[in-house]
Amino acid sequence: MSRLLAVAANTFRETVRERVLYNLVFFAVLMTLAGLLLGQLSIRQDEKILKDIGLASMDLFGTLIAVFIGTGLVSKEIERRSLYPLLAKPLGRGEFFLGKFAGLAFTLLVNVSVMAAGLALTLLATDRRPDPALAGAVYPILLGLLLVVAFAMLFSTLTSSALAAVFTVGVVVAGRFADVVRNMRDVAPGVPPWLAEALYAVLPNFRNFDFKDRVAYGEAVPAGVLAWVTVYGVVWIAIVLVLGLLSFRSRDFQ
Amino acid sequence: MSDPATLALVTTGLSKSYRTGHVIQGRRPALQDLDLEVRAGEIFGYVGPNGSGKTTTLKLLVGLLKPDRGDARVLGEPLASRAWRFRAGYLPEHPYLYDYLTAAEYLEYAGRLFGMPRARRREKTRELLALVGLERSADVPLRRFSKGMVQRAGLAQALVNDPELVILDEPMSGLDPIGRRLVRDIILGLRRAGRTVFFSTHILSDAEALCDRVGVLRAGRLVRAGALSELLRLDVQHMEVFVSGLPEDVPALASARRERVGERLRLEVDERDLGRAVAAVEAAGARVLSVQPVRQTLEDYFFREMGTPGGGASSWGEG
Repeated sequence: MSRLLAVAANTFRETVRERVLYNLVFFAVLMTLAGLLLGQLSIRQDEKILKDIGLASMDLFGTLIAVFIGTGLVSKEIERRSLYPLLAKPLGRGEFFLGKFAGLAFTLLVNVSVMAAGLALTLLATDRRPDPALAGAVYPILLGLLLVVAFAMLFSTLTSSALAAVFTVGVVVAGRFADVVRNMRDVAPGVPPWLAEALYAVLPNFRNFDFKDRVAYGEAVPAGVLAWVTVYGVVWIAIVLVLGLLSFRSRDFQ
Repeated sequence: MSDPATLALVTTGLSKSYRTGHVIQGRRPALQDLDLEVRAGEIFGYVGPNGSGKTTTLKLLVGLLKPDRGDARVLGEPLASRAWRFRAGYLPEHPYLYDYLTAAEYLEYAGRLFGMPRARRREKTRELLALVGLERSADVPLRRFSKGMVQRAGLAQALVNDPELVILDEPMSGLDPIGRRLVRDIILGLRRAGRTVFFSTHILSDAEALCDRVGVLRAGRLVRAGALSELLRLDVQHMEVFVSGLPEDVPALASARRERVGERLRLEVDERDLGRAVAAVEAAGARVLSVQPVRQTLEDYFFREMGTPGGGASSWGEG
């Protein structure tokens, strides 16, 4: 466990020292400020627009960060061979892989927290109360980002960093349209039902992590729904991590 | 077969092949049926031309590659065991260390992976940075290090746990003469401390200067392994005499092989004929500049085993 934590801590240190992360947080803050400006221009629903833009930029920048660090940092380890001296030490491949995930997950947690704090401060600064219900949208966003980073790591063990990024983005986009896949018969009646069902089964439904609209309208997400989302997210993350781990453990480092 | 208790490393039939091609896949053998023994406390040099399987062997031993077949025991433990990894160190070829860390941070991190307490890690970091001559660069990010400095830091991380067995892949690579001397001294120091060093190299003079025994690898097969004295003919092969001002037609030197080197003439004469040759040179009014015995070197051995110097050199590289 201490070795896993050592890898996680080092991974977090790496993401902090790679300044691209700061830029993305900076952009997220900028987006929120832009939202603030929009909020002032609008007569009604200014609070909703502010929350909308804040949560959407949190989701968008979070996804970009997850794809970037998930594919970039793991592939870099393999392509630049920096893991060679480490794997010769009493560090299991599983410890390395899961430690890497834990470090990246912590990075995402910090990022999402910073962005959420930015949104709350913006609301406060414009004399609006930060709605505690916002947490009901932020938490699922974080779960979704952890799933994105798990996919990015899985693809990084299988292919180059560029292709891993393409595949990860592909899964995220397809997963956001998972409902369309499920109801494909409505738009394309020729598609066999089993194919639509199979496609839906192998894709995570990223819409399940999306409560932005609901929360922006001031509606709280029930605890039961959040619990279900947690189970859904954790099961998917576990499946993808196990697949990544199996691939990483069986891999030859030529 | 040696006594297993005195062996640091034993491989039995260790083999590895790599996939080739994308559409039509085949397999290229990289290492075939390697039976090798490295004794505890010795410096063992693993030599061979580019692509002969040296790096493949080392990667198989440290678990970066999985063997197709065969097995190995390291420090008395099965290859798959984690226990021996606490007692071994590894330096990969052309190491890449995290460039966002400083040398001291990297060594601290390496120490954490061995579960070393913080105070011990700090002490070891200071000690190792001094050993490899990087104490003044302890807080410099590794991205600002030269290739030679990275190689030294890489060697330091391989020693962080006071290993009983040190596996080094081309440890002299990228080093200037001072760095090479330093690494040689460290390797010799490890032997004095009773450690075992198993290192691959394509620089034969390094192997000759350092090793108790060597293994010679060619096309994935171990062709010879043993003490240098067993491999090389260490008796004098001939005498090399440098002279100046020697006329072309000296009958007493007709059988000597001649080669002009600038203003000087290099003669190769049999050891038994040395006295007569020197007398003939002086009788001809020429001057003897130097006389030295010539013994077979590891390089000679290589060129004899692997082909002509020209042919051998073409495939010689950093593999």
